[in-house]
Amino acid sequence: MLNFDWLSGISQETAKMIFFSMYIVIGILVLLVPNDYVYEGIKKEDRHWYNNLKLWSLTVLSILATIYYIF
Amino acid sequence: MLAGIDYFIVIAYIIGMLLLGLYFKKFVHNSDDYFIGGKSLPFWAIGMSIVVSDIGALDFVGVSGQAYRYGISVGNFDWVGSVPAMLLAAFIFIPYFWRGGMYTIPEYLGRRYNKSVRTIASVTWILFFALDLGVLFWASAVLLNVLMGWPIWVSILSTAGVVGLYTYFGGITAVIMTDVVQMIIMFTGGFALVFLSLDAVGGWENMVEKISTMGPEYRSHFDIIQPSDTKSPFPWTGILFGLTFVMANAYMIGNQAIVQRCLTAKNEWHAKASMVFGSALKMFIPILVLFPGLMAVVVHPGLADGDQALPLMIKSILPPGLVGLMFAAFFAGLMSSVDSLLNSTATLFTKDIYQPYFNKNADDKHYLKVGQITTLVILGFGVATSPISSDFPGIYVAIQTFMSYFQGPLFAILVLGIFWKRTTQWGGLSALVIGILFAIFLNVFKTQFFTIEDPFLYISWWSFVVGFIVNVLVSLMTKKHSESQLEGLVFSAKILTKNEKL
Repeated sequence: MLNFDWLSGISQETAKMIFFSMYIVIGILVLLVPNDYVYEGIKKEDRHWYNNLKLWSLTVLSILATIYYIF
Repeated sequence: MLAGIDYFIVIAYIIGMLLLGLYFKKFVHNSDDYFIGGKSLPFWAIGMSIVVSDIGALDFVGVSGQAYRYGISVGNFDWVGSVPAMLLAAFIFIPYFWRGGMYTIPEYLGRRYNKSVRTIASVTWILFFALDLGVLFWASAVLLNVLMGWPIWVSILSTAGVVGLYTYFGGITAVIMTDVVQMIIMFTGGFALVFLSLDAVGGWENMVEKISTMGPEYRSHFDIIQPSDTKSPFPWTGILFGLTFVMANAYMIGNQAIVQRCLTAKNEWHAKASMVFGSALKMFIPILVLFPGLMAVVVHPGLADGDQALPLMIKSILPPGLVGLMFAAFFAGLMSSVDSLLNSTATLFTKDIYQPYFNKNADDKHYLKVGQITTLVILGFGVATSPISSDFPGIYVAIQTFMSYFQGPLFAILVLGIFWKRTTQWGGLSALVIGILFAIFLNVFKTQFFTIEDPFLYISWWSFVVGFIVNVLVSLMTKKHSESQLEGLVFSAKILTKNEKL
């Protein structure tokens, strides 16, 4: 059990999809974070789209999801 | 082995680092400046510092060697093994630590649980950092000796002298700002090697084709996900449960050397952005450290020791000048790791041990001096103990392994501490102690429980599970904390919607 033998039936392709799906789930969770919380620390008048950390995070996650999809 | 231009580059780099680090001396006026940079640093510097501190000269060689043996699955450590954890840290944990005005992770554990948990966590980190320093000095110096013929004690003493001086005077600001330059040098040297190696193997597609036809042992070199019954240390089950769910989070959220950098941010946005920016830079690390090892399979096939892959690639691919830059990149890796260990140990000792146990009410200048003296003492200890590594060749792996066993229980108490109000001080303490003991037990009897080569990922996961269960059970049996005790320490959806201060 400690050796995860009970998961040996899962194929490599399915495992790959698990990782791929995980990036999608994390992306959805990031999208749910309220904008005000993401911008906290920046004055309201200085808030721009490029300060939105959700966009930064989604870009990183998209690149990684692509890598895991390809390989 | 080095040409004149290479020596010039390396020496110019070392002197440049010293001068740059000492420049930041003028910004250190009190202990806040020394330990958390007066909360004044921008996200880009912190993000770069996080990434470069995480990779040393040994990682360059070790990861390339693993890529030579196992292929691109090694990249999991920097991709799935860092990015999700860094995003979790950025959006949930770092804002709590930053708003709470904390200096150390054990300080949070002390506030959330009790002083014993704080002390155990802090002493463990201090021991690990102190022992790691000597081992890091020796192993890196031996590596530089083998690669470039640089005398061992010249590497150790020049690194100790330069890093010691700027860390002593400039504190964490000097550490972070020198890390910025070190990261640029590391990326420049690393990418130069990657591009020239790629040219030498005739491009990516040509390399894939050649490796794929080299025999059955290379069949899965381009599979990022390895089957659960693989004999390599990276089965997908270990990567998912041990690395992604536990070790990565424990490292990015519970490691003082990482989190302390985010606490230097000038505001909460910069604190969060530093982690997100760091996660973007992290994506490039496998390209720097993994690709040369992979390309060495084509250029230098059939090596008995995969760790020879990178040194051979440097010798056969890089022209004079770029060899010096690569050597400077190795030095950068060593320096960035050493300065992080020094400053973090000084912070842990001063804030978690000295202040609560030896001198509670001293003035601020006193704690600044204690931090600086601790930096020198730890540095001296590291240099003095470094030759021990030559008598115990397995000590580097032993220390890293020991630390990996602390990660599971540590993350269990961190995650329950921040997400579950009902967790009590006795739950946290027993989870930490029993979890560590369980990890040691699994390590001692690993051949009876595990079939893979090195089951550290599995051990991290199971010690996390045990720590988690023990914490829940003991907490339910002991007296819960009052609302006032938990104020600002437990996650509340209110901070997302109302931006409440803690």
